[in-house]
Amino acid sequence: MIGIQQQFRLEDCPVSDLMQRLRQGRLCLDLGATSIRVNSDSSELAAQLGKVYPQHPLIEGADWADHHVSVTRAKGWRRWIRPQVDFSCDFQRPFAPFPADAALPLFEWGSNWLIGQRLAHLLLLHAGVLERDGLALVLPATPGSGKSTLTAALSLRGWRLLSDEFGAFCPDRLRFIAMLKPVALKNRSIDVIRNFAPDAPLGPSFPKTRKGMVAHLAANRDAVDRRKEWVRPGAVVIPRWTEGAELSLEQLAPHVMFGALAFNAFNYQDTGARGFDAVSHLTTVCRGWQLTYSRLDDAISALNELWQQVRDRARQPFENMAQK
Amino acid sequence: MMRWPWLQALRQPEICAGWSLTQWQEAVRQTRRLRLLARLAEAITDACLLDRVPEPAARLLQSEQLISSYRQRLVAWAANCTARTLADLSIPLVLLKGSAYQAQRLPISAGRLPSDLDILVPRYALAQALEALKSAGWEEPDLDDHDRRYYHEWSHEVPPMRHAAHPIELDLHHNILPPLGPVRVDMEALLTECQPSQWPGWSVLSPRDQVLHSAAHLFFDSEPLERVRDLVDLDGLLRHHADADPSFWAALEDRAEGLDLVEPLLLCCHFCSLWLDTPIPAQMQSRLQSVGAWHRVLRMLFRAVLAPADLDRPRPMRQRAAATVVLWRYHLRRMPLRLLLPHAWHKLRGTRAGNADL
Repeated sequence: MIGIQQQFRLEDCPVSDLMQRLRQGRLCLDLGATSIRVNSDSSELAAQLGKVYPQHPLIEGADWADHHVSVTRAKGWRRWIRPQVDFSCDFQRPFAPFPADAALPLFEWGSNWLIGQRLAHLLLLHAGVLERDGLALVLPATPGSGKSTLTAALSLRGWRLLSDEFGAFCPDRLRFIAMLKPVALKNRSIDVIRNFAPDAPLGPSFPKTRKGMVAHLAANRDAVDRRKEWVRPGAVVIPRWTEGAELSLEQLAPHVMFGALAFNAFNYQDTGARGFDAVSHLTTVCRGWQLTYSRLDDAISALNELWQQVRDRARQPFENMAQK
Repeated sequence: MMRWPWLQALRQPEICAGWSLTQWQEAVRQTRRLRLLARLAEAITDACLLDRVPEPAARLLQSEQLISSYRQRLVAWAANCTARTLADLSIPLVLLKGSAYQAQRLPISAGRLPSDLDILVPRYALAQALEALKSAGWEEPDLDDHDRRYYHEWSHEVPPMRHAAHPIELDLHHNILPPLGPVRVDMEALLTECQPSQWPGWSVLSPRDQVLHSAAHLFFDSEPLERVRDLVDLDGLLRHHADADPSFWAALEDRAEGLDLVEPLLLCCHFCSLWLDTPIPAQMQSRLQSVGAWHRVLRMLFRAVLAPADLDRPRPMRQRAAATVVLWRYHLRRMPLRLLLPHAWHKLRGTRAGNADL
């Protein structure tokens, strides 16, 4: 079943065909940890989704999606004068409309909101997550610290992207799973990534969103195809971009790591004791560092080097527990 | 009989054992938007049927159960703190609605998704209670003069308060219904019948008053659109209290007469019996059959308004029209036009597109 489905991806689909699927409400995006069915009459959205979800498979006849969203053109005079689009989910409309040409940011924002509200069976850390050698690198951070930029850069240098926003950790399996959406880059980081990798698959820029200019980096084919693989936690690194700073990597005490993971999470409170146990587990099996950097290349080579240690340590589970 | 399998499953969870994934999809979407998903999850858990639920649906059931318990913990904690804040006033402290069901550990409270703590104090102590709450960190919202006056003169509660340490709203009432509504409730009579709850410092309305409050709240409200959840609450209250006390129904009917709340009670019994198979005693059934023409019109209206719309298509015209009629009826019974028109004008000017329901 999977073999056939994954033959066709959004990039193989002409915009007119995507539009048709959106109109009929049968475009289903499987992000790994969750799935979204989209209904829309916006041709802007069809084109924009095709650009930033190119590798996601076209799923035919899905009989399940976690979220069912509509992005529809506003009725009445808003159809003609400064047209707008509305986001809704099962008759609920949580936000004010956006300008019609910003359908994608509205879809991304709205679906992120739904994910944060509804998936309390997972602990949703506010963190970028990438995988290498079967181990997850967790990059928790507050907005503005350059987490998305670093996540995007790593994903362009051989690390497999799981998510730039939701570190989806299953408290039962004690593993991460992908929440695979495009990486949302804001303001200066758009040019930073463009210079870092001139052929990076960036979607259109949206100049006037609530967070300023936004552009999305599409996930690559390998990340999409492996989005259902569960990943062991490897290490926690809190990134901090500081202009002109020398690279430094300082180890963190477990209680600092605990705070950085738990208190930034989207649903730490909702998950109750499960969330507490999950974060405790992460701070037990992972070591944590604070990474201060100013140049992406330096940060990436430091993380590549660090990963050899992390990999060696993960091979020795007993010794690793004894150190704690 | 019942048009929605997911509604039937709240009482008979065994029927979901045979559902296809498509049926599950419909059930999860409808119950989630109507705030009944965690309720369904609790019913299924009680019947030990969780392992028969297909995995994608089971995840969302579990998620909603966790969210429900978190929100209930918040309410319990806020009630605990608030009881201590108000203890020195030595006044009756009454929990209302969902908060009261939780404090009585009623079966219906399992899986409810509260967003506020509803409390009531006697009118004479309202100002004192408000001051005490404010000095304990509860804050009133920023309101303009019109809204402040609206709450003060025409409402049965103060504006919802918020607290930095409690991520829920606190609704402080001095009556169960607004003073300008179609029915004026003598709160004294209700306060004398209050009963202790399982939460220290808090009492709750008597069982019959709980039912009447909930019914009036639903059928006198301005926006009863698709509020099947209120009917599920009412069904749970009626079943539970009737089981606990054989004279419950007689006392309930008697009280409805006394408080002039027969109309909402009859509507409540009609819809509970129609959609949830709530057992209704013979005497009440014969009353339901002998209602007049006006009451039958109300049934048609509320039937159109309360019935959840099908997903993935536009709302039916019939439902929107009925909702408009109910809204106008509400306003006209509540305020004379000389108050209503300026109020409507004020609201219209302040309308924003955000947070609107489709």
